[in-house]
Amino acid sequence: MTLEKKRILIAKPGLDGHDVGAKVIALALRDAGAEVIYTGLRRSPEQIVRIAVDEDVDMLGLSILSGSHKELARSVIAQLHAEEAGDIKVFVGGTIPDEDFDNLREAGVSGIFTSEMTIDSVIAEIERQLS
Amino acid sequence: MHRLPRRQISRDLTRVANAPVSDVLEAIGDTDVPPAFRIGITGPPGGGKSTLINALVAERLGNSLETTLAVLAIDPASPVSGGAILGDRIRMDAIADLPGLFIRSLSSRGARNGLCDNVVDLLALLEGHGFSEILLETVGVGQSEVAVHEVVDTLVVIVPPDAGDSVQTMKSGILEMADIVVVTKGDQPGAQRMAADLAAVLRARAGREPPVIQTQSSGVGVAELSAAITAHHRWVTEQRPATLSREKRRIYHLKALIERQIHEALRSDQQIAQGTLSQSYDRLLANLRVT
Repeated sequence: MTLEKKRILIAKPGLDGHDVGAKVIALALRDAGAEVIYTGLRRSPEQIVRIAVDEDVDMLGLSILSGSHKELARSVIAQLHAEEAGDIKVFVGGTIPDEDFDNLREAGVSGIFTSEMTIDSVIAEIERQLS
Repeated sequence: MHRLPRRQISRDLTRVANAPVSDVLEAIGDTDVPPAFRIGITGPPGGGKSTLINALVAERLGNSLETTLAVLAIDPASPVSGGAILGDRIRMDAIADLPGLFIRSLSSRGARNGLCDNVVDLLALLEGHGFSEILLETVGVGQSEVAVHEVVDTLVVIVPPDAGDSVQTMKSGILEMADIVVVTKGDQPGAQRMAADLAAVLRARAGREPPVIQTQSSGVGVAELSAAITAHHRWVTEQRPATLSREKRRIYHLKALIERQIHEALRSDQQIAQGTLSQSYDRLLANLRVT
């Protein structure tokens, strides 16, 4: 398994309470051999960064359906850098309009996953970036 | 107020969790720090372990600025992919911001005893970082996974009221190792009866009968449990100091290291099963000496 012993945090920041997508990705990552930590709903960027640091993850996936993806991603990435954990790759998944992609990439987001993509292509991209 | 070097501790844990035996000793380092008080929490899956730990940590850590507490929470690895979902944090949100707390989720990886590979090394590493207490949450257990008893000072076994027949298997197994028994979900029907049944079946061990405490997710019973844990620690310190001894821990640690070394030696030698039994055995011994 290419994701063997890789540690990945799947986090739900902000106020939206839908985590079906987050759980589907978490299970697919587990099936690819990864150790997946799931935060549960409604975590603040501060809490997510602390969890990412304590768990020493290779990747942090933010699942956001609320529309606040630009603000939340920037906040998380800024705080990761403040904790000297800027090497942790940040991915964003959810309802992300095409016109926001450049903004997110500029903020330091390594991957953007939307509901139009297949699970297999998401996992393949994560494997590529973590290998 | 002190500040935990989170990034450092975290990286050290990853290093030790992934290290072969030959690298473990170097990774842990030779420290001479006083051992931490180790509390084990075990019980069947879905029994309320994570919820209870959430409340127990808040109770023990409180607003203290001096005490530091580490939680190691183990979840099972998938036998198919080797991956794992580590979901203990979902129920630990109330304690997420405590400054003196460090939580690490672990996959059981190859271990089949309710613990995980390298767990003794990880405990030693956390002691080296000066934590005053370490809480170890194990994979839900039944009859055979009693190893946790060997690595903690106080073992809390939780039983949910709806445990049903699984209690029968626990009676001759992990319950015999319990220092404290907790019936969780005390507001559910059957909790009272389960507590009474357990109190009737539990026998005194080393002159001490394990108390049965009922808790509820609202927090009822948690202060009582915390007091019972402290009381047990005091009892062991005064009455059974040998069980807390450095020697006992050292011997268990040595056993764990050598067992893993044997696994590594067996795995790395494709020809180990050829020839007679004594030839295989000599070959294994030779492999152990060179590694």
